[in-house]
Formats: sequence, C-alpha cells, structure tokens
Amino acid sequence: MNLILLAQSLVNGLLFGGVYSLMAVGLSLIFGVMRVINFAHGDMMVWGMYLAFLLNAYLGVDPYLSFVVCAAALFVTGLAVQRGLVNRIMDAPHEMQILLMLGVALVLENVALVIFGPDTRRVATAFGASALWLGPIFLDLPRLLTFALSVTLSVALWLFLFRSDLGRTIRAASDNPTGALIVGSDVNRIYTVAFGVGAALVGAAGALTASFLPFSPTAGLPLTIASFNIVIIGGMGSLLGAFLGGLLVSVAESIGAVVLAPSLKEVVSFSLLVIILLFRPSGILGRRA
Amino acid sequence: MMATTYRVTRRTFLKATSTAAGAAAVLGFPAVLRAQARTIKIGAIHPVTGPLAEIGQAQRLGAQIAVDHVNAAGGIKSMGGARISLVLADTQTKPDVAVSETQRVINDGAVAITGPFHSGHAMAMVPIAQQRRIPFLIDISAADIITLSVAKSVKEGQQKVQYVYRYFASTGVFGNKAVTYMNEIFKAAGVSPKRAVLMYTNDAFGKPQSEAFIKAHKEIGSTFEIVEVIPFPEVPQDISTEVSRAKAARPDLICPITRPASAALLIPELAKQRVDVLGVISPGSPGLYEKPQIDRLGKNLEFTMDNVPWVNPVSPRAKRVAEEFTKRSGGKVLDTNSGCSYDAIVVLADVLERAKSTDADAIVDAIKKTNFTDPIMISAGPVKFNDVGDNIGASCAMIQILKGKAAVVHPKEVAEDKVVFPAPKYWERG
Repeated sequence: MNLILLAQSLVNGLLFGGVYSLMAVGLSLIFGVMRVINFAHGDMMVWGMYLAFLLNAYLGVDPYLSFVVCAAALFVTGLAVQRGLVNRIMDAPHEMQILLMLGVALVLENVALVIFGPDTRRVATAFGASALWLGPIFLDLPRLLTFALSVTLSVALWLFLFRSDLGRTIRAASDNPTGALIVGSDVNRIYTVAFGVGAALVGAAGALTASFLPFSPTAGLPLTIASFNIVIIGGMGSLLGAFLGGLLVSVAESIGAVVLAPSLKEVVSFSLLVIILLFRPSGILGRRA
Repeated sequence: MMATTYRVTRRTFLKATSTAAGAAAVLGFPAVLRAQARTIKIGAIHPVTGPLAEIGQAQRLGAQIAVDHVNAAGGIKSMGGARISLVLADTQTKPDVAVSETQRVINDGAVAITGPFHSGHAMAMVPIAQQRRIPFLIDISAADIITLSVAKSVKEGQQKVQYVYRYFASTGVFGNKAVTYMNEIFKAAGVSPKRAVLMYTNDAFGKPQSEAFIKAHKEIGSTFEIVEVIPFPEVPQDISTEVSRAKAARPDLICPITRPASAALLIPELAKQRVDVLGVISPGSPGLYEKPQIDRLGKNLEFTMDNVPWVNPVSPRAKRVAEEFTKRSGGKVLDTNSGCSYDAIVVLADVLERAKSTDADAIVDAIKKTNFTDPIMISAGPVKFNDVGDNIGASCAMIQILKGKAAVVHPKEVAEDKVVFPAPKYWERG
C-alpha cells in the first residue's frame, strides 16, 4: 500500500470532514434541543447550494463570501418552518414529525426542480484550480477553505451555546424543557431559534461545498442520510460527538475508498454505523437518553 | 309498446345518399387519395434532459436535419413521395423513462425508432421493440450485448425476427481501433509509453468498453501495460480519490472512459493533482470532444485524444451538413453524437425506400440488404449489417483537441491536423 496515497487520503478525508461535521452539528442541534428528526436537512443544504449558485450566476459573488447570505436565508427559512409547521406538532408522536419533515423535504426538492431544472450544477470559484503542496501531498484549496470555515462556524456555535445567555437558555431547554418553562424561559422562541441556527449551519455547509460537490434537486436525500449516520455514530444530543463523528466518518470513507475501492466508500461508513449500534448504541459521545 | 322507427324523410335520404356518394368518390378514386403525400413517422428517442442533455439535444438536431434533407430531396419516392417526420421523445437520461417513451412513440404511430445513446437505455428498449415488432436502428450505443442478445434469441428460436440493428461501432470495434491507432501513433512519434491506467465510468457502457479495450490490448499487444484499472460512478460527486490512485500507479498514459459529467470532474482533477503523463487517450467515450465541454474545460482538455466515430473531413456532403448544423445550433459543432444520428435517419430513409412499405418485416428485410455507400461519418466501408445486426462499416478515428477544436489526427487518410504526442504537461501549458 502506497504510503503517500494513504497519507493523501487521510488529508482528503480530514478536509472533507469539516463539511460533514457542520452538517451533523446542525442536525444534532435540532435534535438535541427539540427532539425533532429533521428529514429535510439534506434538502436545506441543497438549497444553500442553489442560493450560492444564484448569487454567483447573477451577482458574481464567490461562494466563499456568499455563504454568509446563504446561512442567513436558511436561518429565516428554518424560523418559518419551525414556527409555521413544526411547532404545531411538537407534542405529537414521533412518526408525525418524521412525516411532516419528509413532506417539507419533498416540497423543497420539487420547488428546486421546478425553478432550477433537473440538471446537475456546480458553482465556479476563483480558487477552483488551486492547490497547496506539502511535499508530495496536495491540499485542494477550496476544500481547505471549506474546512477552515466549517471549523470556525462550529467553534462560533460552541461559543454561542456556552458563552451567551440565549445559548445557555437553549441548553437548559434541551436538558429539561419542563424546568425551563417553570423558570420562565420562552421555550417556543428557543425552539424556533435552535431550528433556525441548525438550518443556517447546513445552509452554510451547502454554500461552502457548492464549488466542488455537483448538486441537483435530488441530491438532498443522500446528504440527509449521511448527516443522520454521523449524528448516530457521534452520539445523538452531543454536539462535540457530531463534530468528531463528521471527521471520523469522512476519514474512514476516504481511507476505505483507497484501500477497498472508491465505490465502496459508503459501505465503510455504514459498516461503522452498524458496529456503533451493536457495541455502543448511544454513539461515541452520546448521552444515554 | 310501439317500436321506434326511423322515418325516412327527404332530409335523411339526402344526407345518406350524399355521404355514400362522397365515400364512393373517395374510395372509388384511389388515385385522388394517393396523390396526397403520406407522412411516415420515425421515433427519435434521445436524452434531451438530464446528465446527457447536451448530447441528446445534439442528436435530436442531427436527426431533424437529416429528416429535412430527405424530405427536401423528395421524401420516400417508392411510397409516393411520402415525407418522414420525427416523433420526438426525451428519455431524461433515465432507463425507465426510455421504456415508457418508446411505448408512447409507438402508440403515436412510429413505424421505426432510433436512439438512444445510452447503452443501458438501449438494453431496456430492446424487449419493447421486439415485442411490438418495431424496427429499431440504434444510432449510438456501444455495448455488444444489445444486438448480440437479440441475435442469439433469434438463433435459438425464442424470437422469430430480429428488429434491433445498430449503426454505431460496438465495443469490440472501439477496442480494436483504439489499440491499433495508439500503436501507430506511438511508433510515428518514436515514443513508447510503458504504463497505462484505465479509468472507466461504471455503467452499462463503460464496463464493456473497458473490457473490450483490455481484450484488444491483450490480443494485439503494445509497448504499454495496463497497470491499474479504476472504475468510478456514472455521475460522480468527487473523483479526487480515483485520480490519487491513478497517480500513485505512476502512469505514462491515462485512458479514460467517461461521460460528460465525469469528464468535467476528471480532467481538471488530473491537472490539479499534476498527473505527469505523456498523454490522455480515451479508447472511446463521450464527454471529451463536445463543444460545450471544450468551452467548459479550456486548456486542460487540450491535447486529449479520443478514439470515436467522427465526421468524415474529406466528404463534401459531411461538410455541408456540418455547416448547416453549426448554423442551426447557434455555433455548435457537428460531432460523433449529432453525426451518427444524422446518418441513422438517412440510412432509415434508404431502408424505407427499398422496403416500399411500412410493414415491420418488409423494413427488416430491407435493413438486412442495406448497402449504403454515402455515410457522413468515417467508415470502413458501406453501411451493411452482419448477422448479429451490427454495421460492419462502423469505424473510429483518433481525434485530438487542438487549439480548442476537435480535429481528426489519425489515420492519415482522413487526418485534418498533425497529432501532438507526447502532450505538454498540465502545468506547462500557458
């Protein structure tokens, strides 16, 4: 086994892991706080990609700048979805939530299909062809930027949750919703904000990957499944678990692609899921709920 | 109860007799009917949307231009100057849609069909063509099994008649020509590549195409060894791992079998990872010569070679069709995709002319006797179908992207430009 190839795949895996982490952290936030299973997660990411595409096509903005706008747009969308739809079924059985979010996913997918058509797209970025070389290992510049920005956003989220009042209230509501209500927290507002933040994170993840992941309206579901995979492996309800899980799954897939075959990439990550569920069902850093 | 009687009034009598007279006039004077030109419908089933949209649209236009030429020349003279018209269908690059569109087109009155580009779609459409007895002249699809399976079932008595025929070259022809041309080009350049990495799109076309290349390489032999064979998904998200793997095999040559989506990722990735090769030579694939791809990939696609059926540069007819295609497509170039679809229609028109009827078996008989000497694509002889249903005149030429244009560089009889081999390294191109 070629050592350089192995080292390269490790680096590739780590760089892409930043995106996986961002996706998973967003999903974990939504689930951790509200116990809502967001099946529309991947489709929100695809919408982040499409918004980056629009901003690039009509205003010439590079996705590495426009991701802020995409995050903001998805934040508003998340607020609307939570306030208008999810809030109404917060007390309903889980199956209803799943169905509702599946419905949202289908709507997002088909609106994208109507507006943008079925063709696969990518967004051009000024750094598209650049790479940094560390000896024989190359670091793809777009992916490096995506990694750096993903980590920054995850750290920003951590700071928000652990250093701000609103963040503290969100964590309180997720630990004990009844207790939070008793002490007078506006739990509904918290849920709305949490959903919005989760959507914003995944919207940013979309914009940050739009330059190297081809996307089409139907690209949402595989991304949703990948996010769930990571969150379960990392531990449901643990943000750090989701972050580390993203890096772990990405590196495992990348090395698996080189050692086995590129088309068996997902076999590796789903085998990891099976192993975790067998031996540590709550996930690597999960709380035993 | 009184039975309802139809009273024969003067009005009803007049109505009845005038209708009868009209009918007698029409039926009793068949010459009047025949003088009206008939329309013969041919189904044109192509991937006009989806990942192969650019190709499907080129095919559709090529077929339409052919229809216009045939009709302008008088249509099918043996059937009273009948005009041909296309029943257009879009497979959306999905095999299940290809099947349902085939059914729809046949229901709409098509007496023959052409298409579909994607070998997977062709395989799905074959049972429909056979069941409904509709002659199917494949304009583009390379997988051998498409016609082979039908020929076999006819031979074994499971089917009575073979309705599926192929104008395009099969993977066997591709593999053979690829290795032969590569050897000739290497010899002329005085360069002997030693290590080749074969990368192929893992679908119904790419896999047989790669196997045919490996087989031809084994049979014919060459200076290079195929040291690594790397498949990738048909519509890949990311191809960096596969390219890293190719690079690790220290290749002198990359032999990619791609589709437009994978080529759009592969070529820039080869440049980005600075893969140091003498050249990128495809044994035969789409995605490496279409004008939109050339525009999209720019200098990284330059010097890439592809062994494909191509428009004959020395045929005056081909030149005229190419000009018309460029005009009607808003600047695109007549290539493998549009050219083969053009030829398929022209061959079908010739078949209909000789069949003198739209009956399926008459058409099949005429197909079997085809000896069409004026295709616009480079050929190894006239269009003639063998007992498997493949066109023995189908051939390929080696084209190379030079100065932003695809030009034939080999064999010499049809070359438009001189081959550049070895190609400049990716990082040394201006």
